[in-house]
Amino acid sequence: MFRIRTVLLVAALWALAIGAPPSADAERSLILATTTSVRDSGLLDALLPRFTETSGIGVRVIAVGTGAALRMGREGNADLLLTHAPSAERALVDEGVVARRTPFMQNFFVIAGPETDPAGIARMGSPAEAIAGIVEKRTCWVSRADDSGTHKREKALFRDAGLAPNLERDGLIRTGSGMGLSLQIAGQRRCYILSDIGTFLAFQERVHLVPLSQPSPSLRNVYSLLQLDESRFARPLHREEAEALEAYLLSPSTLEEIGAFGRDRFGRALFTPLTPADAPMQPKP
Amino acid sequence: MPSMDDTMLSPLLTITLRTLWICGSALILALLVGVPIGIALGSRQFVSRGLLVSSVNAGMGAPPVVVGLIGSILLARSGPLGELELIYTPYAMILTSTAIALPLVIGLTLAAVGSLDAEWDLQVRTLGIGRRWRIWLLVREIRMGLLAAIIAAMGGILSEVGAVRMVGGNIEGETRVLTTAIMMHTSMGEYEEALGQAAVLVGNMLVLAGLLTWIQQSGRSRG
Repeated sequence: MFRIRTVLLVAALWALAIGAPPSADAERSLILATTTSVRDSGLLDALLPRFTETSGIGVRVIAVGTGAALRMGREGNADLLLTHAPSAERALVDEGVVARRTPFMQNFFVIAGPETDPAGIARMGSPAEAIAGIVEKRTCWVSRADDSGTHKREKALFRDAGLAPNLERDGLIRTGSGMGLSLQIAGQRRCYILSDIGTFLAFQERVHLVPLSQPSPSLRNVYSLLQLDESRFARPLHREEAEALEAYLLSPSTLEEIGAFGRDRFGRALFTPLTPADAPMQPKP
Repeated sequence: MPSMDDTMLSPLLTITLRTLWICGSALILALLVGVPIGIALGSRQFVSRGLLVSSVNAGMGAPPVVVGLIGSILLARSGPLGELELIYTPYAMILTSTAIALPLVIGLTLAAVGSLDAEWDLQVRTLGIGRRWRIWLLVREIRMGLLAAIIAAMGGILSEVGAVRMVGGNIEGETRVLTTAIMMHTSMGEYEEALGQAAVLVGNMLVLAGLLTWIQQSGRSRG
């Protein structure tokens, strides 16, 4: 009879409802807002399981651009931030939203492009010259255009080159997307792009781009942990959990693991941990 | 909350079960809320009925991404429902999916009630049976329409990606469902993973739609 079958169907759905594992959620958890570059490199997948295992604290990783992550912090929508935009981070410290900012690892940005290097940037000395060359030749340039840390750095490099960063120009492609997708677009359209080295190495094979920039202080990329000031928000944060994760990430054994991460897969480390002695050295914003 | 050791199952199976759990729960919620509203709207006359019916019809075409945006604002810790701490949990996804399915359920229930013969109501009333029994007869009478509502709502929320990404965050092991995983893998150029998940998603859709259609057809043949 029709009714019985309906009942069976609803029962089947409910069985799914109670049988399915909705989450591996721990009793205690926190929201870590971070950048797509940290997630896409696989670093967090390597570090966080051990933290959850030993502390019983689940970590909800929300991977967005640095701009969005900082905004989540400002509004109390995250408990801990891991970002890479020193000047924007310092602004939050000055505002009093961030109680503690700890630079803890670094790598560098690369300007990548097609192997043919149509603008000839491999011969140029500084990143600013390279960008000026790309703009002059009107070769295409893929911009994240998402207020991420990488996008902020791109704007700084354009300013270094004496160019207005937000100007409409020939060949400029704004993706508004994460690092991985933007690299894919740059690869498919044979464009130049600024990327953090970690994500670039992870995608290099797939996107057929090569690194073309020379090492430079203006390409230094520092990642920091930002602990929020709980008293600034109407609702409590998961402060204990955030402090536990911060302590775990800054512990000597984790820093050592960060320094080794990527060696097996890429033949080189993707990040260099910063010891407290390194930390005061700030990169050019 | 029910939970199973994730390591026991393959990631694809875990994601699939989570997808079905979220969609199934949202569907049940939408039916529990939507069918009574649809019946009430369809079988009574009152002053603001026209306005309500047109907002339901407009809601049937509401862009899920807008529902996701509103859900994100409401559920964020800094938002009005922030105290519930639902943002970036499967429950936020269930609520958002329910909101997407609800207008479909109400609208199609309403349409089914509206399509009833005007005589029907009169006949049932003249039988002099109680109100509860009358509603049950009505539900039986519009069951084809209700199944259409279930199929439409299920298709809508099973294939939804933007809104559940916004309120769920695509967190591995917690809020990653088939659609958000496909989007993520595609954006990272991992087409093999994306294709596998797409096949599972389409397979689920076919099986569920087939099952519901079978129920609908066999129900019809019995008249």
